[in-house]
Amino acid sequence: MKERTVIIKENRTSVIVLILAFVLICSLLCLPAYEFTSSIYTKKSGNTFVGDEKYVEVKAEVEAVAEEYRADGIEVTLNESVIERTNSKGKTTSMVTFTLDSSFTRSGWSFLGSGLTSSWLLLGIILCAALSCACALGGIVGSMGDSYNRLDARSASFRSASAYLALIAMLLVPVFFMTNTFALSRQVKLFTSEAMTEGAEEFYALLNAFLFDGTAGDNIASALAGLSFRNTYAAWGVLPCTFAMMLAAVSLRHGTIRQSFMCGLLYAFVIAMCIFILYPYYVMLVTGFRTSAEANDMYFLHIFPTEWHFENLKYIMGRGIPKYLLNSLLIAGGATVIALLCGIPAAYAMARMKFKGRNAFLGFVIMSQMFSPVVLLIGIAQLMSALKLNDSLLGLMLINAAFNQAFAIWLLRGTFVSISAEMEQAAKIDGCNTVQALIKILIPMAAPGIVTTLIFVFINAWNEYTISTILISTATNRPITVGITQFSSFNMIEWQYLFASSLLATIPVVILFMCIEKHLTSGLTAGGVKG
Amino acid sequence: MNNNTLLKKSYPYLWLLPSIVLMGIFVVFPIIIVFKLAFSEISKAGIAGGFVGLQNFRDAIALPAFKTVMLNTLWWVLSVVILSTVIGFIIAMVLNQKFHGRKIARAIVVFPWATSLVIQASVWNYIIKYEYGNLNNVLLNLGIIKEAVNWRMSYQVEFIWECGVGIFVTIPFVCFCVLSGLQSIDGSLYEAADIDGAGFWSKLFNITIPLVKPSLTVSTVLNIIYVFNSFPIVYTMTKGAPVHKTDTLITYLYMLSFHERQKGPATALSVIGFLILCLCAGIYMVSVLRKEDN
Repeated sequence: MKERTVIIKENRTSVIVLILAFVLICSLLCLPAYEFTSSIYTKKSGNTFVGDEKYVEVKAEVEAVAEEYRADGIEVTLNESVIERTNSKGKTTSMVTFTLDSSFTRSGWSFLGSGLTSSWLLLGIILCAALSCACALGGIVGSMGDSYNRLDARSASFRSASAYLALIAMLLVPVFFMTNTFALSRQVKLFTSEAMTEGAEEFYALLNAFLFDGTAGDNIASALAGLSFRNTYAAWGVLPCTFAMMLAAVSLRHGTIRQSFMCGLLYAFVIAMCIFILYPYYVMLVTGFRTSAEANDMYFLHIFPTEWHFENLKYIMGRGIPKYLLNSLLIAGGATVIALLCGIPAAYAMARMKFKGRNAFLGFVIMSQMFSPVVLLIGIAQLMSALKLNDSLLGLMLINAAFNQAFAIWLLRGTFVSISAEMEQAAKIDGCNTVQALIKILIPMAAPGIVTTLIFVFINAWNEYTISTILISTATNRPITVGITQFSSFNMIEWQYLFASSLLATIPVVILFMCIEKHLTSGLTAGGVKG
Repeated sequence: MNNNTLLKKSYPYLWLLPSIVLMGIFVVFPIIIVFKLAFSEISKAGIAGGFVGLQNFRDAIALPAFKTVMLNTLWWVLSVVILSTVIGFIIAMVLNQKFHGRKIARAIVVFPWATSLVIQASVWNYIIKYEYGNLNNVLLNLGIIKEAVNWRMSYQVEFIWECGVGIFVTIPFVCFCVLSGLQSIDGSLYEAADIDGAGFWSKLFNITIPLVKPSLTVSTVLNIIYVFNSFPIVYTMTKGAPVHKTDTLITYLYMLSFHERQKGPATALSVIGFLILCLCAGIYMVSVLRKEDN
């Protein structure tokens, strides 16, 4: 345990760092955060050469304009760019463009009043940082020398809050830069090229007030088109400051930074992973409810559809999707019932009885887990047409049941073995026969394992695609996985319908899977399964 | 009396009967059919004739795309299995830590596993579209790229994307296999190692990996088989285009037998694939049965 004096000293350092960092942030915001260069005057001169009479004349003209600006107190620099080209008579001439560029800077504080999205972010950063300091002070009053793991509830929560607030401030800094880049380059580009028109006026008015003090007036579009910008090191300096604040707050709470740092890394990893995994589902969701135009729009910029287009659902209902869903339900349900009806007795025999060939059967079960129906496609197609089961739901039920049989037996056997046989023996003494003992005693006790097996077989059958494409030729017999492919033809894919129906096919299964997720870790490597 | 013992002896087999019938008809029969076809002469219409020995196999090997397809299959299986095992292992290690929201994170990791491969492949197909794909859209919005990037500039790149999607959907399986192994490790082992002053890496290589190895073996062998058999990803994303350059064995044999009417070589490829799988299955069986003995 650390001594009281050591703890006081550590805490004092942390608080000083915290407050210094906050003060540094505030002062950094006074420095220029962004440097802008904007062309306020442009003059083009064609059919000239650099240095000829016309060139000198135009240049003098532009310089006169520049003088006027300087007289008004606006600092401008004269730039020229030359494009050489060959005219229709085969003569090479130059096109000289003179621009008067004015550079100016905007400090962090001035962003606060700009009214842009980023001003709210900056406000958030400053508030979070200030609150972080306040919470740290609140958390340290009266518990300065207390051991870190024996803090009273109030101090502990104050100090945690301080760390979290500093973290939020730190995370907001890059977002601030990103929103600025987005607003000043991409949004401006889209508005000026008229790829996007909605809300252009308010946006222009904001930028006019912020960048040109309202002087640009009607020329705002061209002034923005000639705008270039970059952020300064002073602005980026805020990031390490907030980081230092967070570290100080963390050490105030836990005493050690290393552990907390690893913890932060862990959360960052988990969050990034979840975002990445959910990304395709997000795409499915938003694209499924866009209009056809928005789904195929190059310039479509919104994170969500501008209008949730639920008519897509109505449309796919008319394209046979309910029938396909029903087919899938029948196939998967039928396959599950068959697989369990055949699998439970077999698993019971394997778990409770001793007989010759038991190990051989076990070997066969494990082995047949390996045979995916896909590699046997040709054989299955022949067999099914010989049995007149091709193009029928029953055929798909049987195939799915058969290829999931091995897994079902394997998993059920594992469940049965883990349950003691004593209860059944007691039941048998009471006069039950084996079948009764199985139904009345064992099955209720093995319910979790049976449900897991059931859901697993169901999901496998529901998601099956390859065999169905081959066996099913009548449109009305298709399961959903095959049914959704009708929206993608060779040269046109109706993405919005494809994804709307995909959603309907995915949601129930994902929910089912989440139900058995707990059991996955226990029964998985024993059974060895995959959807 | 005699009759009675016979009944008693056959009693367990009666319990197995439904299962054996089901698997016999729908699993064993197709295997026999495929083997029979592979050694028979098959007309263009798909009608089997007499025994032709290894002719179908010679035809299959002589196919112009045979070598590409075999190499593709090898790359596909190797890259997907190895990378998903490594990434899945890391994710499992993370998910085995204690943190707030662990249940939610685990539930989310299951997602790709629960989704049909056709759907997953279609979504990624849309994401990487050049003109209006969501990836370009998001990156442009974030200001990370200035111009739309063509994510599928050549068939090699498209094949890499297919492998990427394969890895994405395979990770959850590996992850949960490893998790089940990790959860069975006795926590006191780590405590003892801590007392001995062992660092993170030494704990990883001396405790975690040896103890997770059985689960890892099972998941790897199963993955080889599942990935080898994976059909919808390649079929949905490129259909093997151009000219079978992105096909794997499974999609190629599907194309051959159901679109190009070359049933003979297709059945030969089936048998080749089946034998490769049997090899893997053998390894798996040995490892599982050894575990059973323990």
